Amino acid sequence: MKKIVLLSLIAVTVISAGFTTVQLMDGCDKRALTENCKKKLDDFKYDSQKYSKINYLDHDQKLEIEVPVFIGEKYRMIFNTSYLPKGIVISVYTKSKDSKKREAIYTTKNEAEGTKVYVFDAPHVRNMYVDYDVPTDASNPKLSGCVVFMVGYK
Amino acid sequence: MFSKKNLLIVNTSLLIASALFFASCGHGEAPKTDASTPAAVVKDTTSANEVPQTSYSLPSPLQIASIFKKSGLSFKDGLTSPVKDPARYTTNLNKSINLGVYSADLSYCVLNKQSQEAMRFMKLCRSLADNLGMGSVFDESNLSKRFEKNLGNEDSLAYIIAELQMVTDMYLDENDQQQITSIVFAGAWTESMYIGSKVYEKGKEKKLNAKLAEQMNILGSIINALKAVEKKDAAISTLVADMKSVKDIYDDLPSIKNNPDAANSDKPMSFTDEEVVTLTKKIDELRAKFINGL
Repeated sequence: MKKIVLLSLIAVTVISAGFTTVQLMDGCDKRALTENCKKKLDDFKYDSQKYSKINYLDHDQKLEIEVPVFIGEKYRMIFNTSYLPKGIVISVYTKSKDSKKREAIYTTKNEAEGTKVYVFDAPHVRNMYVDYDVPTDASNPKLSGCVVFMVGYK
Repeated sequence: MFSKKNLLIVNTSLLIASALFFASCGHGEAPKTDASTPAAVVKDTTSANEVPQTSYSLPSPLQIASIFKKSGLSFKDGLTSPVKDPARYTTNLNKSINLGVYSADLSYCVLNKQSQEAMRFMKLCRSLADNLGMGSVFDESNLSKRFEKNLGNEDSLAYIIAELQMVTDMYLDENDQQQITSIVFAGAWTESMYIGSKVYEKGKEKKLNAKLAEQMNILGSIINALKAVEKKDAAISTLVADMKSVKDIYDDLPSIKNNPDAANSDKPMSFTDEEVVTLTKKIDELRAKFINGL
């Protein structure tokens, strides 16, 4: 009986510690990020979301998300950057990064410093491309974080 | 109470457990969702090359159904998938495609106030989701029960489906199975186009024609989204080829060939009736392949 109690105690202790480790090793709580974005949808209906892992490298990066949109629909975009260790610039364009004729319709450069959650109600356009401009981090090239981007419509 | 040997085991275990606990504390900042809290710093162990330079955020089946509904798409009996036994779908690819087909049918029924049919498709979706190991999403926030309770209330049901989509997306993200999102949407898109083109055949509604044409614009995004996740499941290649076969037909239509900038224009596009017939034939073939699990 003593042995069973002893082994159970050991198993519970080790499993609990291991579980804590597994839960926290990935520093991005996707669920919390999503729930926070959802609150900002207001009367827009949820359409989609995109979770992106951001790895800071020894050079600048431009990551792009193509967002198909439809004529006559109203769209809201929400970006949650709470889990980014270093700021990135988020911009929304009418064409992809390969096009020279694209127009920026939104950028977080104009938002208040320290903002982590951005809300953008898009004008009527035919296409939308979300760009993440990720700065270099030469001191710690393996630094990373994540951003969640949610789309709502009505 | 314990022998020396047992005490040694306990001490060693506690030491290991403590080490694991403190190791976790290195990353262990509480979840931060508030804008004012500092961000977590995570040491990444994966290759930088794993982050794709371009990714895709595809719409939900509900939005596609909603767009068609706004253009006058009415409910016609017999257009939804006739397959009542989802157990016939044995591969993950077929299960995911048909989860998309059923999701499109569910949205079509909900937006057209077909409560009993909607309930039937909700159950079929649940069955396929169970089969894919993700049935638990239906129990989140009592979604299944709330769906049943709100039968007859179109607006509430639409919001519940949107919420179901969100928890599904979240589940797939958490489990690193984003490829399923693209496969499901490919199935949903094909089913929506099938229903849209069949209803158009009967009424020749101009608005519906324009929406069919507009939907073709996102086919390229679907193909690219599938290609981006091809390495996760080799079977996706066949789906890419299937979707591409529809795009080839579309690219070859005179309305598209003679007006290559149409997709970027603010003006609604439209097809001739002949073009709709050509496209419908291809969509019919693909949809039959999907629902028969071929």
